Amino acid sequence: MSIVKILGLDKVASFFNIIRQNGGIRGSLYKLYRQDELKDGTLVGEDKFGNKYFENPRYFYGRNRWVEYSDNYNMNYDGSQVPAEWFGWLHYKSDLPPHKDPARPNYPWMAEFTENLSGTTGQYTPYTTTRPKVEPWVPERKSTV
Amino acid sequence: MSLVKIFSVSSRVRAGGASSLVSRHVQYSTEAKTEKVYPPKEPGYMYVNAVDPNMTMKALSDRAAQTMFWTELARGFAVTLAHIFKEPATINYPFEKGPLSPRFRGEHALRRYPSGEERCIACKLCEAICPAQAITIEAEERQDGSRRTTRYDIDMTKCIYCGFCQEACPVDAIVEGPNFEFSTETHEELLYNKEKLLSNGDKWESEIASNIRADHLYR
Repeated sequence: MSIVKILGLDKVASFFNIIRQNGGIRGSLYKLYRQDELKDGTLVGEDKFGNKYFENPRYFYGRNRWVEYSDNYNMNYDGSQVPAEWFGWLHYKSDLPPHKDPARPNYPWMAEFTENLSGTTGQYTPYTTTRPKVEPWVPERKSTV
Repeated sequence: MSLVKIFSVSSRVRAGGASSLVSRHVQYSTEAKTEKVYPPKEPGYMYVNAVDPNMTMKALSDRAAQTMFWTELARGFAVTLAHIFKEPATINYPFEKGPLSPRFRGEHALRRYPSGEERCIACKLCEAICPAQAITIEAEERQDGSRRTTRYDIDMTKCIYCGFCQEACPVDAIVEGPNFEFSTETHEELLYNKEKLLSNGDKWESEIASNIRADHLYR
């Protein structure tokens, strides 16, 4: 064990490293405001919505993978904005990020991912997909002269 | 094992048992004066209940000093201070997410074949097995003569997410996907129809197929 570790100076070094990685003092304060937490890690990938995925095995399992939502979302980030391709990696189901997983299917009929649209104009509203079985009788209208 | 050996072993056991009995008797007899039978000092036993405090003068004065000088207070503050610098045991949810199994049963989806043809053949096994009776299916013959559903409704507020529907399905059409972030603001948004389920399948196919592949050895 080195003298640096005994004195806890490596913790101080990693603190300054975290500040530097998150874009200086101003950037760190903004990230702290937006994400409640400052972490350092390696960028694993970025999805097509601009969300960035990070990993750092120094943190314990369950905290060692995280997503930083795209700046376009501002403070309106939501857990459902992680697309299906990255879902498995972020939930520790797979160690392969989607661009390194050759077995992941990519069919032409697969739809664009959307976040949970409840409460917006794009929300799902139920409707029937069949014709009604009982149709009301509409009597023939006689001329009302 | 020879007879001699058996005898020697059993005699040793008997001798050992007798000596331990004697020693316990001695222990009881000596400690009966101080009224302290437990904890027994035998190996393999651990006394787990609260032990009476030591009442010698030195131990008493030590305890009194600890109380008077508030050392507990200082030590308690030290523990608090240490926990400020500790890594938290919780996860920062929308950014970090907990581990999930490939068998996780979340939001339902209707899958398609790689060609884009919907899998469901309207056998109604899922409707029959559903313990909450949340599934409603109506079927008709399609123009090309194949049997397809015209109505596939799931009341997600009735569903108990038991996963019987995906186990009953012979063609892997209805699955419970990995998504659990489908909470809604109104009740009616959770009354899924066929189009919603198919669009779920189109959105989540990448992850659903990966889950099924990850679990294929156990199916």
